[in-house]
Amino acid sequence: MTRLWRTSAIRLALRYALYYALIAGAGLGALYWATSQYVNAQLATSLSQQLDGYRQIAKQKGVAGLIAQFNQEQALDNRRERYVLLVDAAGRYLAGDLTDWPAGLSADDQVRNIWLEDDLLRQQQEDGPEGHWPTVATRLAGGERLLATQSIGETEALQAFILSAVIITLGMIVTLTLVLGWNLGRQMLARVDRVNRTTARIIDGRLDQRIPISERNDEFDDLARNLNRMLDHIDKLVAGMRQVTDNVAHDLRRPLTRVRNRLDVTLLEARDPAQYVATLDETRADIEQIIATFNTLLDIAQTESGHIRGSMADMDLSALAQELGEVYEDAFTDNGQQLVLAITPDQHVTGNRDLLGQTISNLLENALKYAGSQATVTLTVAATPQSVQLSVCDTGPGIPAEQRDRVLERFVRLDDARSTAGNGLGLSLVAASARLHGATLRLTDNGPGLCVGLGFTMTTSGR
Amino acid sequence: MTTQQPLARTPLGHAQRRPMHLLIIEDDQEAANWLIKGLREQGHVVDHAADGDDGLHQALTGQYDLIVVDRMLPKRDGLSIIRMLRADGRNVPALVLSALGEVDDRVAGLRAGGDDYLVKPYAFDELLARLDALTRRSGEAPPSTQLRVADLELDLNTHKVRRAGQDIRLQPKELRLLEYLMRHQDKLVTRTMLLEHVWDFHFDPQTNVVDTQISRLRSKIDRGFDAPLLHTVRGRGYRLSAHD
Repeated sequence: MTRLWRTSAIRLALRYALYYALIAGAGLGALYWATSQYVNAQLATSLSQQLDGYRQIAKQKGVAGLIAQFNQEQALDNRRERYVLLVDAAGRYLAGDLTDWPAGLSADDQVRNIWLEDDLLRQQQEDGPEGHWPTVATRLAGGERLLATQSIGETEALQAFILSAVIITLGMIVTLTLVLGWNLGRQMLARVDRVNRTTARIIDGRLDQRIPISERNDEFDDLARNLNRMLDHIDKLVAGMRQVTDNVAHDLRRPLTRVRNRLDVTLLEARDPAQYVATLDETRADIEQIIATFNTLLDIAQTESGHIRGSMADMDLSALAQELGEVYEDAFTDNGQQLVLAITPDQHVTGNRDLLGQTISNLLENALKYAGSQATVTLTVAATPQSVQLSVCDTGPGIPAEQRDRVLERFVRLDDARSTAGNGLGLSLVAASARLHGATLRLTDNGPGLCVGLGFTMTTSGR
Repeated sequence: MTTQQPLARTPLGHAQRRPMHLLIIEDDQEAANWLIKGLREQGHVVDHAADGDDGLHQALTGQYDLIVVDRMLPKRDGLSIIRMLRADGRNVPALVLSALGEVDDRVAGLRAGGDDYLVKPYAFDELLARLDALTRRSGEAPPSTQLRVADLELDLNTHKVRRAGQDIRLQPKELRLLEYLMRHQDKLVTRTMLLEHVWDFHFDPQTNVVDTQISRLRSKIDRGFDAPLLHTVRGRGYRLSAHD
């Protein structure tokens, strides 16, 4: 219940109820005022006309004729709360419904609201309330004074009717808005609750949970769909991380076990110095391997975080490839392979020189390791109208098409590669580097062999 | 030299020349202890500061040949110490140690006035070699254009290399490699130092590509001559020297 009050729908409904009430109140108030004005004006005209009639009678038949007219009207008693009074020049009663001339009323033919108490009436009326009655008075030729006045009872009844109409209308508007808002709030709350329940389950670690989507296909479903998509992505990332963590643990456990065993055994008994030195040397080699794996993982993480993007600048990819190619040439020759450089000079890309150097180096290392002896490896930098292409292609055994995506993942080593040294991280770094540089990464068939290509979109230098 | 020295195979060969007076600013006490022990065994005189303020104070009041400063320190970070020293007109060489290995971090370290930057975990050999290289760089002799090691000569103006009066033809990269080695003659030069200074590669190729480059250079400057000058110090690096 209190939660319902806190929902935005209820707050919105309350706010709109207030707005509608204000708007409707102002409109109906204006109507009320205009009606009152109109009624009053009609009344004033009618009173003046009546007085004119009496004046005509007085002119034609004299005061006596007027008195006779009054008495006749009084007998008919159909004056609808309209009252008259005739007094002589001294203010003494001659005829009419009132007992005395009201204090402060001047006979100047102007319609005024005059305070009249109901005991001024000769015949007490049930509904003759006291108040400011519209009154008009005139002086006849003989000095007699004549007035006509109208009880405000009828006007007030009309005003009361309009007022109650206003209040009822306002009440209906407010109630309707509140009811609608209340329902809307409950509906929204129910749907939000569904999302919250799913979220709670996810927080408890059940990452496979998804938010149900209704058939309405409204904005809530859009939100749910997006959240579900996000969850899919997170789920995949977490699964990937878990895989990597497992692999890291596995990859580090082997050298760590070796170090541990070697130290334990060496310390079992006193040994001659040469043996200690040998143990320490081997231990150092293992630790270097651990550090190398560790550093590569950090490099990938840093590259994936996009941190390096700030330090990217226009650089000569051709020169870098040429330099690396020259450094590696002998290593290929020693390995019974041949490295061919097919580098178009002066091809520039926006990038980080160290990272691109590492990227090319990783590709060359892979070719060294997996292309096999006798293979010819070609390092190419070429320009197309829209891009700069860098590729390392070999004539080795290649990778089956269905496994090409997998080798980009961290720690994935295809079965044939398990016997060779390596940590399965080389191509992961290449993939991360390609993403960072906005380059496309393609593994294709070199028929025979593997071709790894990076396509850098051409950018105006100094992006 | 302590008695442990004979255990550790041959002497590392860095410290035959005059001992250096070093200041280590490092807050990890364990790491500092081993560093100090290693450096003292190499014959150096080592002072230690465990936080940034103390380090700056010692650096400003003492006379040091070289300062090794950790980047992240309590009270005052390493780069700020170097900046203060430089602002004070001290050009004592400084080597920055850091657990931050990104390109930007290295650039920041060098821009602050550091002379070299080494990422943890580093090999002790690597540190020694770099300290050695730094003292030479700040040394007295102005950079010469005529380099000579035994009967090997390099003229940097004409790019001519001669050994025992015989002309040797070298590629531009080989010339730069030889120049670096000659400028650090008799000293251990590591693979990483060569990658960084000769090729400007700030990453470590898995394959020892430096080794093949060294072999190629060796075949040109040593083959056919009596005494080899370019030595491989196994597992550690290379040394250009008339002595073995």
